[in-house]
Amino acid sequence: MRASALFAIPVILGLAVAAASAETPKDVRGLYLLTDYPAVSVRPGTTSTLSLRLQNYGLAPERFALSVEGVPQGWVATLLGGGQPVAAAMPAADANVPLQLRLDVPANAGLGTHNLTVSAAGQGNRVELPIAVTLAKELPAKLAVEATLPALRGTPKSSFDYSLKIKNDSGRNLTASFAAEAPRNFETSFTEAYGTQQLSSIPIEAGQSKEIKLKVRPPSTIDAGKYPISVAVSAEDATAKTALSLEVVGQPQLTISGRDGLVSGRAEAGAQSNIPVVVANTGSAPADNVELSATAPSGWKVTFEPKTIDMIAPGKDAEVQAQITPTAKSLAGDYMTTIRASSRGESATTQFRVAVSTSTAWGMAGAGIIGAALLLMVGAVSRFGRR
Amino acid sequence: MRREGSPWQGLSGVFLKELADHLSSVRMRVLEWLVVLTAVAALYGAISAIRETTQEDPFVLLKLFTVSQGKLPSFVAILGFLIPLMAIGLGFDAVNGEHNRRTLSRILAQPIYRDALLAGKFLAGLATIAISLLCLWLLVVGLGVFMLGVPPSGEEIARSLVFLVFALAYAGVWLALAMLYSILFRSPATAALTSLGTWLLLAVLWPMLAPALAEAIAPPNVRLQILGLPTLATLEWTQALMRISPSHLFGEVVLALLSPSTRSLGPVFMDQLQGAVGGAPLAFADSLAVAWPQAVALVAGMIVLFAAGYVAFQRQEVRA
Repeated sequence: MRASALFAIPVILGLAVAAASAETPKDVRGLYLLTDYPAVSVRPGTTSTLSLRLQNYGLAPERFALSVEGVPQGWVATLLGGGQPVAAAMPAADANVPLQLRLDVPANAGLGTHNLTVSAAGQGNRVELPIAVTLAKELPAKLAVEATLPALRGTPKSSFDYSLKIKNDSGRNLTASFAAEAPRNFETSFTEAYGTQQLSSIPIEAGQSKEIKLKVRPPSTIDAGKYPISVAVSAEDATAKTALSLEVVGQPQLTISGRDGLVSGRAEAGAQSNIPVVVANTGSAPADNVELSATAPSGWKVTFEPKTIDMIAPGKDAEVQAQITPTAKSLAGDYMTTIRASSRGESATTQFRVAVSTSTAWGMAGAGIIGAALLLMVGAVSRFGRR
Repeated sequence: MRREGSPWQGLSGVFLKELADHLSSVRMRVLEWLVVLTAVAALYGAISAIRETTQEDPFVLLKLFTVSQGKLPSFVAILGFLIPLMAIGLGFDAVNGEHNRRTLSRILAQPIYRDALLAGKFLAGLATIAISLLCLWLLVVGLGVFMLGVPPSGEEIARSLVFLVFALAYAGVWLALAMLYSILFRSPATAALTSLGTWLLLAVLWPMLAPALAEAIAPPNVRLQILGLPTLATLEWTQALMRISPSHLFGEVVLALLSPSTRSLGPVFMDQLQGAVGGAPLAFADSLAVAWPQAVALVAGMIVLFAAGYVAFQRQEVRA
């Protein structure tokens, strides 16, 4: 009992709301044929549909025959109800029947305004609705594109993100596709404003705007300078363009190798040997104050002559001598030594393979021992040799 | 008393006669067959083991010498065992055999010095072993090329030939020792037993005795022992004592020459290996430098043992 009583309250509230809405047109009585826009513009050669409704305010239900008059030659006007062609409608008291007027306008119809009359005739009761149909070229689609920050600046390694706002200024929903024109080898991609999904087109409702992001990555070996990028947005027959600019600031890029690209060298355990190291700047700005350092096996001494290079112009290289001294206890064989060049954040490393050979002093000592044995032999021969 | 003429007079006569005797003797034939058969068996094992590996190796030929399969030891291990046997077989009755046949005084009645006689006998034994080793080497290289289809590189040939030279020095040590015993003992049986006893002691027993002796000389650190680590002093003593044995020296020479990635024959510390490129082969000269002390010990040992035999022979009465 208690549960059903609680349940009854929302039902009563709902009824009250329905009664309030039905009560509003209290002082209006009669039958009306209604449409939201009684004067429309239609493009020749298209089919357009107008929404109508037959509204009954406070009359008893009655059958109304429907007809359309004043239809120009060649046009086809059909009244539809519930998706079917209908000839009559019967609205209940204080209710309406939705109807649609479908107009098939031939492509060769002359421009100008035509007046059509839709009428609903009952017994002694007749309502009419004049509709002015103007044949006109429809408003062309219109798009606008705008970049919030049209000029960006960065290094060849940075990624340039332009945020673009595309506005649909035309009267209908459009699917705008976009393309970016950038210098050769530039990588461009469109993504959602907050997302990583790449896009090639985006649907925009009439009068609305959407934001997308254009990501541009210049080739890493590009020279410093300003590069133009143009973005074209198109939908149906509308296009919009905007020009962006990308400024690349030069950056040094270092590479290390040996002379003639050789990254190996020889060294003797406990002795200093020189390995030529070539530091090249393949970037687009001069590298200054290039410092050289090395990571070598424990106990090794690696110094550079000179220790720092003042400046390497772009496209140029400089040679330094790496003075490598393996420990005296090093075993013979190959070792890896990492040589590093750094200049204000930009650095390069290369591994050099150093073949260590041991000192030949012990080899000489060994030969000396064999010599001593032979001397002993010779001594024995001369001492004990018999006639 | 001044010597007249060259002490080497008659050397070539003794050398050629001894060589001919060695090469036609039944003893030598038996030894050669023993060596060849075991070597071919080891080689076959090595070849079938190498065929199963697919990884690239710039020193396939050298693997023929060092790879062992199953229960069969590797080719060099067999050589390390059989070379002393061959050398002792050739040298144990070199001088006392002549004594017993009463031919020594007859030979020395010829214009041949004792120097030439002893040197000729020694060189003939060495030459016999050299011929056998060279044949074995050719057998290995030939079978390797035939069954693996990989032509040997210049460095492989150089390494294996230098190995052959040191194997000859190893044989020379045992030959000189056997000849020393044949000079010292009148009975060939005593000389043979003493030689074989020395060989057994140094080749088989010494590897077991040396660590025990080293522990007695330099007791291992208890704390390191608990951690399962060796004590450096004990390790060094063990190695020093082991190197008294020519077999061990020969083994180290083989390791350095035929396994090109061997960097050291002694204990290696971790900090010495930091940054090292693992498995990278050493240059031939570096490998030779690693093996050099052992090789020198073998060559010098051979010369010293021969000199000792020479001195003993010169002071001996031969007319009895």
